Amino acid sequence: MTPILKVHNLTVRYNGRDALAGVSFSVQPGERVAIVGPNGAGKSTLFRAMVGLIHAQAGSIETNGAEFGYVTQRSAVDWSFPVTVHDVVMMGRISRMGWLRWQRPRDREIAQQCLVQVGMQDYADRQIGELSGGQQQRVFIARALAQEATILLMDEPFTGVDTPSQEAILEILEQMRDQGVTALVSTHDLNLAVERFDRLALLNRQLIAYGPPSQAVTPGTLAAAYGGQALWRGDDYAMVLGDIDCCGEGEHHH
Amino acid sequence: MLADIAEFLIEPLRYPFMVRGLLASVMVGTLCAVVGSYVVLRGMAFFGDALAHAILPGIAIAYLLEINLFWGALVMSLVTAVGIGYLSRQGQVKEDTAIGVIFAACLALGVAILSTIQGYSVDLTHILFGNVLGVSETDLWLTAGLGIIVLLAVVLLYKELLVISFDPILAATLRLPLNVLNYLLLVLIALTVVVSLQTVGVALMVAMLVTPAATAYLLTRRLWHMMIIGAVIGTLSSVAGLYLSFYVNVASGAAVVLVCTAFFLLAFLFAPSRGTIWTWLRQKQVKIS
Repeated sequence: MTPILKVHNLTVRYNGRDALAGVSFSVQPGERVAIVGPNGAGKSTLFRAMVGLIHAQAGSIETNGAEFGYVTQRSAVDWSFPVTVHDVVMMGRISRMGWLRWQRPRDREIAQQCLVQVGMQDYADRQIGELSGGQQQRVFIARALAQEATILLMDEPFTGVDTPSQEAILEILEQMRDQGVTALVSTHDLNLAVERFDRLALLNRQLIAYGPPSQAVTPGTLAAAYGGQALWRGDDYAMVLGDIDCCGEGEHHH
Repeated sequence: MLADIAEFLIEPLRYPFMVRGLLASVMVGTLCAVVGSYVVLRGMAFFGDALAHAILPGIAIAYLLEINLFWGALVMSLVTAVGIGYLSRQGQVKEDTAIGVIFAACLALGVAILSTIQGYSVDLTHILFGNVLGVSETDLWLTAGLGIIVLLAVVLLYKELLVISFDPILAATLRLPLNVLNYLLLVLIALTVVVSLQTVGVALMVAMLVTPAATAYLLTRRLWHMMIIGAVIGTLSSVAGLYLSFYVNVASGAAVVLVCTAFFLLAFLFAPSRGTIWTWLRQKQVKIS
């Protein structure tokens, strides 16, 4: 199969130091990729460079015509902004509507369908600040769907979100896979990344490892990504990583 | 009784300068609130204030050249808006520092030029605090013309300006020309400042940009509602302020701003859901239950 996304030698420099150095990987259609790494590893930078918000000094990104949908990090959004859930989803339609055009019935229909798909149709008239963290993430996913994006970039969608909401988001991602939507998700939660994703990218300015989680996560790659913080106890990486990863008791859902 | 009220309202309209002043106030009240919605939501109050002060040299030079002050203000405001936008994008200094430097320099330059002119103090008062009752017919047409252009731009680019303000990352994903739109917004604010100058003056400009929009912000949950309610509040304040200045004989610009502020305080205290009183009551309820 031809990959839907090919990132080749992506390099971004900030204030004279490399935020990303020679990152290359490719993603197959429908795959779910977790991007894991410590704080400051360049996860957000990678996404922002991919959509062209940050200028990359070198490298290329090929998407085969697919469009990016961005689920913005919750801390980067002003939640008191006067927009309703419906307004936010409609923002995804902007490039389909074109300049100097207003929303048509078809745009409203699509926005409604996208809200149904993430189970948020009853909240269309709420101001976005009135929603819980997980609901906000679902609305942003609906916005990406309304955009007819086929590569979803999600920046830390599980941060500050409770376990049921996390499950709901993962379930939506699962449904979207059937529609051929690919998802790249950055997260701090290595457990989750290992258990629930097809591929795992271990990032710390360089791409340290990339592949199926069981192959990407080894004592060596973990030490390279997390330095001295990483502990390794036999095969039971999930347990140990849960301990490092600040979330108290590892949350397992089987 | 009704006849008294009618008389109270109609009396000032017997004077053509009052009619012109009222028309100007209505236009400015509307325009400032609509554009001011973006100023409030994007935290650009300091930019608006600085812009208003920075056009002083433009006015002074126009005064010296004996052309309509409007054109001096127009050129200067556009130069300043783009200048601040450019300087803060370079990243060597923070945006508010860039604004501070340019704003003070322009204000000083304006005062320096004006101080060389004999008898400048009277005109300076008008420039600083506005003189809505001195609006000429030409001014009125210029206000209407530019005001309509600005409003049209805000309406036609509503969804684009909304996205760059709410989520610039999405805007980049949608391949919207982020820089062009950001500069355009600065220019729209600059034009609004120029158009409104004669009504409220340099010193009180920021109040017209911020207060009605901030009041509306407390009362609504959608941007276009905020713009419309803001426009209503801005217009009401302008008209009420003008009547106040007619009957009580206070400076018109100051009267307008004081009425605006009264509206804001009412909303701040009593707005459903966002107002202080309701928040306090809700907290009390939680404690009881």
